[in-house]
Parts: sequence; C-alpha cells; structure tokens
Amino acid sequence: MSSPARNISEEPLGAAIPPLRWHVPVLAWLRRGWLGLTVAAIMAALVLPPVWTLLHASFSATQQDLSYGGFTLEHYRSLVQGRNLGNAALNSVIFALLATIVSLVFGGVLAWLVERTDVPLKGLAYVTTIISLGTPYILYVTAWLYLLGRAGPFNDLYRNWIDADAVPFNVNSLAGMVLIEGFLWSPLVFLMLSATFRAANAEMEEAARMSGASIAQTVWRISIRLAWPAILALALFVFIRNLESFEVPALVGMPGRVDVLTTEIYRSIKEMPPRLGYASAYSVVMLLMVAVLLFAYGRISRHAERYASITGKGYRPRPFRLGRARWLASGVILFNFLIVLVLPLCALLWVAFMPFMRPMRWSAVKFLTTKQFDAVLSSPHYLGLGVNTLIIAVCTATAAMVLTVLAGWLAARRQVAGSVIDQLVTVPLVFPGLVLGVALLELSLQSPVPLYGTIWLIMLAFVIRYMPYGMRYAYSGVLQIHPELEQAAAVSGATTGTTLRRVVVPLLWPAIASGWLFIFLICAKEMSLPLLLAGPDSQTISVAMFDLWSNGQGGEVAALGLIWAALMTLFASVFYAIMRRHAAKTFGH
Amino acid sequence: MVLALTRRSLGGIAVAALGSRFPALAAEDELLAGARREGQLVWYTTLVVGQIVRPLIERFEQKYPGVKVSFVAAPWQETALRIANEGRASQPRGDLFDGGITFYPLHAAGLVEPYVVRAAAGYPADFKDPGGLWTANIIQPSSPAVNTDAVRRADIPKTYEDLLHPRWKGRMAWPDTPSAGGPPGFIGNILMSMGQEPGMAFLEKLAKQQIANVPSNQRVVLDQNISGQYPLVLQIYNYHAAISAAQGAPVEWLKLDPTIVSFGSLSLVKNSPHPNAARLFVEFSLSEEGQGIYANAGYVPVHPNVPSKIPGLRPDDGKYAATILSPGLFNERQAEWTAIYRRLFT
Repeated sequence: MSSPARNISEEPLGAAIPPLRWHVPVLAWLRRGWLGLTVAAIMAALVLPPVWTLLHASFSATQQDLSYGGFTLEHYRSLVQGRNLGNAALNSVIFALLATIVSLVFGGVLAWLVERTDVPLKGLAYVTTIISLGTPYILYVTAWLYLLGRAGPFNDLYRNWIDADAVPFNVNSLAGMVLIEGFLWSPLVFLMLSATFRAANAEMEEAARMSGASIAQTVWRISIRLAWPAILALALFVFIRNLESFEVPALVGMPGRVDVLTTEIYRSIKEMPPRLGYASAYSVVMLLMVAVLLFAYGRISRHAERYASITGKGYRPRPFRLGRARWLASGVILFNFLIVLVLPLCALLWVAFMPFMRPMRWSAVKFLTTKQFDAVLSSPHYLGLGVNTLIIAVCTATAAMVLTVLAGWLAARRQVAGSVIDQLVTVPLVFPGLVLGVALLELSLQSPVPLYGTIWLIMLAFVIRYMPYGMRYAYSGVLQIHPELEQAAAVSGATTGTTLRRVVVPLLWPAIASGWLFIFLICAKEMSLPLLLAGPDSQTISVAMFDLWSNGQGGEVAALGLIWAALMTLFASVFYAIMRRHAAKTFGH
Repeated sequence: MVLALTRRSLGGIAVAALGSRFPALAAEDELLAGARREGQLVWYTTLVVGQIVRPLIERFEQKYPGVKVSFVAAPWQETALRIANEGRASQPRGDLFDGGITFYPLHAAGLVEPYVVRAAAGYPADFKDPGGLWTANIIQPSSPAVNTDAVRRADIPKTYEDLLHPRWKGRMAWPDTPSAGGPPGFIGNILMSMGQEPGMAFLEKLAKQQIANVPSNQRVVLDQNISGQYPLVLQIYNYHAAISAAQGAPVEWLKLDPTIVSFGSLSLVKNSPHPNAARLFVEFSLSEEGQGIYANAGYVPVHPNVPSKIPGLRPDDGKYAATILSPGLFNERQAEWTAIYRRLFT
C-alpha cells in the first residue's frame, strides 16, 4: 500500500529530464500481482484447452467416422429451431428454478438449525448428507424412481387401501423431476451454508434478540441478510447446475414426455454417431449466460465486506436457544433424514437383497437373498478398483481445494486478475461430461507426458470438472472474513504467503473442510469421465458400477453401491471429525 | 542376430512344412508363437465384466500361459470414441473390440483390421462378414415381454396387431436406445415384414398407444416390467427374460411373427500392438469352448454346435420366424428408422 508513496519520495528532486521509468509501475504491479497472475495462468492452462475443443466441436459438422467435419452453424441453428423450443425452454426454467428452491430450503433450513441453534440430533444431519453424497447418482435416482413409480410402495399402498386402479402420483412429471433434482443437490447446499452459518457472527443476532425481536424476525432480518451474498451465489450456482443437468430430466422426465432443453441434448449424444457438436453449442450458449450472471453477481456483491462477520473483534458465535421449538426443529432433521436418506436407502436395500426387481410386499420376503452381496464380496478385483478410486478422490479433492482457496481469495479480494480467475474457474461448470472427456482424450494422446490411460489423467479431468464447486465454497468463505484481519497482518510485516497461511486458511477451515468433503465424495462416484479415460490399469469403482448397471445387474449394483457408500461414509466421517477438531481450535466450537 | 534370424526362418520352414499336412494346426502354432512373443493383449469390451469378460479371460490365460489379457470396459460409444482417437493419434492401445454398432464408425475411420476367423468357419453366413471385418460373438433376439402377474393369459398379445388394443394404451415401454435392439430396430422390422405403407399405417396407430421411452437399456426396461411398472414392454432381449423367469420372476417373452434378431460382433483394431495375441483370443472366443463359456453366462451363442443354456432362445431351436438385422443392414437404414421413431414416438 505504501509503495507508490515511497516511489514518489525517492524520485531525485530537480533532475533535468526524469527518465521514462515505465518499468517501475509494471514491476510494482507484478510484485503485487504475481500470485494472481500465476493462479490465472494455471487456471487458463487447465480450462482453456477444453474450451477450445468445445468451441471447435460446436462449429464442426458431425462425421460418420467420429472425426470433426468442416465448419458449420448447423448445431446453433438446430438449437434455435429445435422443435417445441418454447415449451422446452419454459420447462427448463421452471424445473431449474423450483429444484433450486427445494434444495435451498431443504439444505438451508437444515444448515441453519445445525450450526446456529441448540437443536438435538445434529449428527444425524451430517450422516444424512455424507451418505447421500456418497451414494452413486444413478442408484439414488433409480431408488426414487422405484419409490415413487407406478409399482412403488406409495402408489401400491394407495391402491391397496383406497382405490385399486388409481396411480395418484406420477413420478415421470415435472413435479417428480423437481423433487428428485432438489433432493439430489440439497446436501451441497447444506454443506456450503453450514460453513457460512458456522462462521456467522452471533453478536448482531444477540443484539436483535435483546431488543425484543422474535427468533423468526432475527433469522429473517439478521441471519439471512448476513449470509445473503453466500446464499445468492449458491442459488445462482445451483440454478445453473440444474439448467444444464440432463440426467434427471432424461431418466425421470423422458418416459413421461416432459421435455426440457437438455432432453434433446441427451438424445443427440446417444445417437450414432453422437452429435457432440450440438451438446457443445448448448454449452457455449450456457457459457455466455454464466458470464453474464457472474458479472451481475459481481455487481451485487461489490460491497461484500459489509457482510463479513469474522472481524478483528473478539469472536465466538453462540447458538440460538430454541426453547420449546427444539422438538419441532428436531422433527425437521428427522424428516430430512427420512426423505433424503432412509427411504431411498431402503429401496436400494430391497433391490440388493432381491434376486430381481419386484414390488415391496410381505409375500416377497421369502425371496430375500444375499447372493448379490456374496458376488461383490467374493470378487477380489474390486479391491484394486477401490484403491484407485480412493487415490483419485483424495488427490483431486486436495488439489482442487488448494487451487480454489487461492482463486477464491484472489477473486473475493479483487486482487490482480481476480475477476478473470473467477470466470475461468466457473467455466467447467457447463461442460458436458462427454465433451470434457473427449477434449482430454485428444489432448492426452498428443501430450509429450504419457498421461493417457493413467489415473493422473482422470485426476486432471476431475480437478477441472470440480473446481467450480470448490470455488463456491472458498469464495463464500473468504467473503465472511473481514479484510481488516489481513490488513493487520500486512501492516505487521507479513507477506501475502504468510497472511494466507496464518490468517486466511485457519479462518477458512470450515469452508475448506466442506468443499474437500464434497469433491471427495462426488469424485468417488462420478462415472462419465472414467468411462472415457480409464485405461486397463486405472479402472475405478464407478466404471465397474456402470458396467453392472448398464448390463442389468441391478441387484449387484445396489449391493456394490451400498458397500461402497458405507466405506466412503466411514472414511468421510473420520476425515470430517478431524477437520472439525481442527476448526474448533479457531472457532471454539 | 544372424543366428537368431536363421533359427526363426528355419522354424518358419518347419511350420510351413507341417502346415502342408495340418494347415489349421500349423496356423494355430504360428499364432500362438506370435502371441507368446507379444505376451499380452488389450480388449476393449462392452460386455458384462463379471459375467463373461473375466470367465473368458480366465480360461484363455489357463489354456495359453504367457499371454495376459487386460480389458477396458465401457459402453459402445465411449469404446468407439477411444479407439477412434487413439487411431487418429497413431497410438492404438486396444487390440480388439466388441459391440453391436461399435464397428461402423471405426470402419468408416479405416481403423478395422480384417481377419477371417477359422473357428467361425461353420457359422451361418448371416453372422459373419465374408471379408473378416467382423464376426458375431452373441445373438440378441429382441422381443416383447409381459408381466404374468399383471396380465391375464388370454390378454397376452399374439401378433403385432394385438399391441394396438386399447388396454395397452399408456401401459407399454421400450428402451430409448438408437440401436437395432431399440425402437429403430422395431420400426425396421415392421416396415420390412409388413411392407412400407401398411407398416407406416401400423406404426402411426402404435404411436397413439403412448409407449413410454425409458432412457436406459433393455435390462432396466425388463426390470420395470417385472416390478410391475409397465405390464407390457417391447424390445427387450429374450435371454434376459428367460434368465429372470428361471429365477421365479413373473415374466414371459413373446414370439411375435417375426422376431427381430440382431447380434454383437468382434473385430480387430488396425495396426494394434499385439496382433497375434488378439487373433488367438478371437479364435478362442468363437471356438466351441469359448462359445460354451458365453452360453454358460446366459448369452445366446452363435456357434451352431453350442446350444444356449436355456433352450428355445435362438430362432433355430426356438422355432420362431426371425428378421435378422445385420449390423450392415441396420447401419444402412438406421437414419431413416431413427427419424421415424423421433417423429412418431417422442
């Protein structure tokens, strides 16, 4: 801060013609901005090559031999002229918006209760989150389809007791899509907002309570307002994620003919030859939209330091006392536990213990078998796949969090290249898995480093794919820390590195832990990238699961998925306990 | 060096001399010697790892010690994209691949090595390419199936026309896959067996039945049939239904005249790193022994001497009329059939 002043005072007075010292400000800028420029360069190296592939694919004709054809605008034209476009676009927005609300309300309420109140059963909320994040995506969706489906227990009960011919709930509808997608992402919201609420300052809440405000008033006027930038960023993020997701719209919506924008994309990449260009064109449009949204968000949160709750003052958040409302609140946690975890898990267990899919009935209990579990437990090769997967997930989560903590800090503090970094890191959010996979396939085959077919390539792909998630955790975390703490460190002579290590990172632990956990769990189950990138010696558990699933070994998939989810939960719980203890040193609870 | 060369060429002469009397045996010896030199092969597979890939490899490695088989399992699309990219970068890693339509984009890219498989000499002509570009390894008859708990015996459809009965409206499903085992194959079968115009008229009526397009594979659709979600499903593989029925599932596959029969095939990758080992493995997979392993795993084998584990699944022993939809025929017409599917049924 003081360097320009010093430069001026050091200027020799009375020199006839001062030499043009253009390099001084440049050097000063470089000295101030070296970190930002380095991180920006790394991000650009990671993100821009796949962006190039995306653009290239979106302007190239589809060829029978899977190569890129000549220049064409066909993909963009079919985007605009897509059949039923208006209806699909409307469905898309409704779907994305409502699912975002479901996730936010579900995850947000839970996070606030767990972090800011004295509600009982807090552990249950964490268990729910970790297990549901550890459960492979297709299993989770399949479980819900089964539960809410025509032959599922809900419709079955209704038919048995009320009306034998009715199907009261049709899961293959917009409502079904919203519910399932909403449940799917509520753990993300929970983890992210729990980090935010955890670091929230209780002083203002207590002041409000002392001045006679009710709990509801305090929450509405203080807690939510304070977390506003974080909530808004999260809402935007989940909204974009929902807008470009095509798994739930396809699996849930397609059989009921509910078309959204991505339904057509799902179909186009399943065709022969796959129309990667069409999917890429949609992503390019999404990319532009994300840039606009991020720009708008940047303007909204320009005065983010007003919301910072971690300041230089004595800091020790205290939980709300809910009084009699405690029981109501624990009901909310139980409800979440039941809906997000117990029900789908029961469905999966039922499938895993049955020789084939059948309705949940007492009469079927005699068919229970442990055959599927035996098949999994007696196959030693799953061990090797498990080890590969663990190495990949641990390394990816760690690398992604290191990068995004730096990126998040640079962006939130508006350092040199900060906004460029924010844009770069968010770009992979809109890559379709298959397009990112093809990009890395091409690049690794050309690369002088022998990456192709190794677990390092999968890791690289995962780091690129999940950086946006890590960024959201890190960015919201940094926003809460008042810059005065870092300024104090700088004034005391600390370098940027020391400030980051001694001040920022310890205060960021809750966000870092949540982000790491999220990326770890999601990498351990992600399927699309390893399917394209794993070589003979770098197969992962998720490839094995997909293989079983796509070939109809439903029961064995459920068994393998459950065992794997149990292991991941154990691993993640141990990790989380350690991290919380670590964070407790800083936050005192 | 000179010595080694001489020895090898002497060996060659010996093999050639033997070959004049026992050509097949000599060729196998030569293949085996080459395979041993290479020591390994890489198989890009779309088959189920636990069910067939591992048992096949296990027996092969037992029979030919010194030749290790590794594999990469992925759906056909990923498999094709991989081989295409490796080939374009002149770094082929895989030696052979399988699947239904995997072959076509790779053949278009000039990445398939022809090889006439000796073990398949007795296969019906429909199931192999005369030039050796591909040879069938499994037969996949696609049929409808009913849930026998949910459908009365008298209501079970006996002809394609029966699918138009109002009782099936909104209660049928099929897999939304662009393959011969999906709606395009069904449409092709109808158009070829009924004729273009009556076929289209039938399809237009069928479209009004609102068949659910399940974005998944044949097995998942069958599971939804067994669980009661859809009492009648189309385009599932008959051997899946037979396996589940044998385990007590309330399901029965239907022989509507004619049934669509497509198949999966094996092909070699051009300029692959282990060509001899790959040929040896293809020979083994399509031999009586290899096909027996397929049959044992529940697949419908192609080898005429090897019956399927559950009898009656193949057109010849099940005595049903079939439209054999070769990958070549399908590839030629798939764009047209897929377009009809998209226009009428989605």
